[in-house]
Amino acid sequence: MIPIEYFLTLGAILFGLGLFGVLSRRSAILILMAIELMLAGVSINFIAFASYLDTDAFSGLIFALFVITVAAAEVGLALGIVLRLFRERRTSNVDEASDMRW
Amino acid sequence: MTDIFGQTLNLNYVLLLPEIVLLIFSMLVIGIDAFKRQLNISGNVPVGLALAGLVVALTLSILQVNMDEDFARLIQVDSFTSFFRILFIAITLVLIVGSHEYIEKSVSHVGEFYGLLLLATVGAMLMASARELLTAYLAIELLSFSLYIAVSLARSDRRSGEASLKYVLLGGVASASLLYGLSMIYGVTGATQYHEISAVLSAGDTGLTTPLLLGLVLIIVGLGFKASAVPFHMWTPDAYEGAPIPVTAFLSATSKAATIALFLRWFGGPLLPIASDWQFILSGVAVATMVVGNLVALQQVNIKRLLAYSSIGQMGYMLMAIVAVGSGFGSDATSAVLVHLAGYIITNLLVFISVTHFFNQTGQEEITSFKGLAQSNPYLALMITAGLFSLAGMPLLVGFFTKFILFQAVVSAGHLGLVTVAVVASTVSLYYYLMVVRQMYLYEPEDGTEQWRLSLTGYVTTLALFVSLVVFGLWGTPLYAAADAAAAGMF
Repeated sequence: MIPIEYFLTLGAILFGLGLFGVLSRRSAILILMAIELMLAGVSINFIAFASYLDTDAFSGLIFALFVITVAAAEVGLALGIVLRLFRERRTSNVDEASDMRW
Repeated sequence: MTDIFGQTLNLNYVLLLPEIVLLIFSMLVIGIDAFKRQLNISGNVPVGLALAGLVVALTLSILQVNMDEDFARLIQVDSFTSFFRILFIAITLVLIVGSHEYIEKSVSHVGEFYGLLLLATVGAMLMASARELLTAYLAIELLSFSLYIAVSLARSDRRSGEASLKYVLLGGVASASLLYGLSMIYGVTGATQYHEISAVLSAGDTGLTTPLLLGLVLIIVGLGFKASAVPFHMWTPDAYEGAPIPVTAFLSATSKAATIALFLRWFGGPLLPIASDWQFILSGVAVATMVVGNLVALQQVNIKRLLAYSSIGQMGYMLMAIVAVGSGFGSDATSAVLVHLAGYIITNLLVFISVTHFFNQTGQEEITSFKGLAQSNPYLALMITAGLFSLAGMPLLVGFFTKFILFQAVVSAGHLGLVTVAVVASTVSLYYYLMVVRQMYLYEPEDGTEQWRLSLTGYVTTLALFVSLVVFGLWGTPLYAAADAAAAGMF
């Protein structure tokens, strides 16, 4: 059997990559993709814990299902907002959307 | 009904009636608004339906005040839940009545806007009543998603889209870290029910301190973002400035109160056995929030940004009291937080509704545009002054009474250092509140001293809030009794 640490490391790497992407990318679309990566890491964590530690209940698996669904909804919503911003400014770069400071 | 383990499940839907009613009405409002041309209905129908739904839900919540039952082990309807249900419904009700002129004039998609406000209220109510991690998470997202859209609905304001984008991107990162934290807690305890987590954690050392600490830090990051705690507050001033003013008020009242409710449920419940692990993190966050919030407010020129930083400062005081919850003074500190929360919300709504009416008349939101308001509208100037003085904690107003109770509860829990910082920060805050008052009373109006009046609903809401400000300031017993009962339901 594969030890649980392998899955947790994978989850942590995905989460870390996502966080790095959020901090380093300037396009709103790429930031959204990076957030998806973070959520994928979370789902792997939940599934690993559910199948190794909590085998007679399904709370972790259901949690992962909901995380996936909510993430899809969030991307749909955020893309709508990006679209509105693009109509107003012809850009989806978050650095150029900075009318407000401090 | 029984679950897969053969344990009985209580599926008493009556417990959820306030939420169900609000959901149905929000769908009705959105649906009717979509077909208003075909059905040929007047523009007043959406707001009427929204108000009707809120009144019905408020009545149902008041009828359930003495309940203490769980729904399918997901939602607990107790006195704590009832306190927040009534609070949240009342906030939305007052906001809609007080600023419907603004909403009709300066918000695009009016019907959807009302529907979103109702949905956000449901999310906030569920956040206060969840007794299981997944339910709490979904409630957080219901509140946040509704607000992401509502922030972007200011008509012909370029700042609105930018504010919403910043809010949704940072909010996504915050939810992801919150979820990672929750997965760690789930991994350590193998449970998502609050009472099971609490049982596992209080049973003793799980031998897994590192994942537990990581989980705690990430949960504090995620919730701290929703509560605008420093250093996760960067979205707050931008979202507040770009949003339509009623949404700003909603963000500063319901969204903050719901996050504090969740803080109390989690840190006073499942995470209480490991209080010594999170107390020092949370005290650091509380001190940073009080100091940064109040200091940066000093240099603001826009009233919405000023109020944003002021609400960050106020969150710091409440986070400080949550540290006190961990010191074994749970019931006292919780009741103090609830009293302060209620007082803060009454005051903040008064200020925001007054600012809304000022904007309706003048179309401006800079602090310097308040010049001479004492001459052109003495009533509104008095309302704003009373609200700002109460936020600063001046005696005779509710802000003094609630802040006194809050600080006293934290001192008796033995956190004298925190309270010292809070008192200094609170003194600093008086300066920037007075800057606004100075503009109104010491300067001549720039464009003539022409008098103007508020609308009838404007007078009714501001006067009602002003009266409760003064009455609770002089005689706070009913507020204190309600908060005590709510806190008793939790401990």
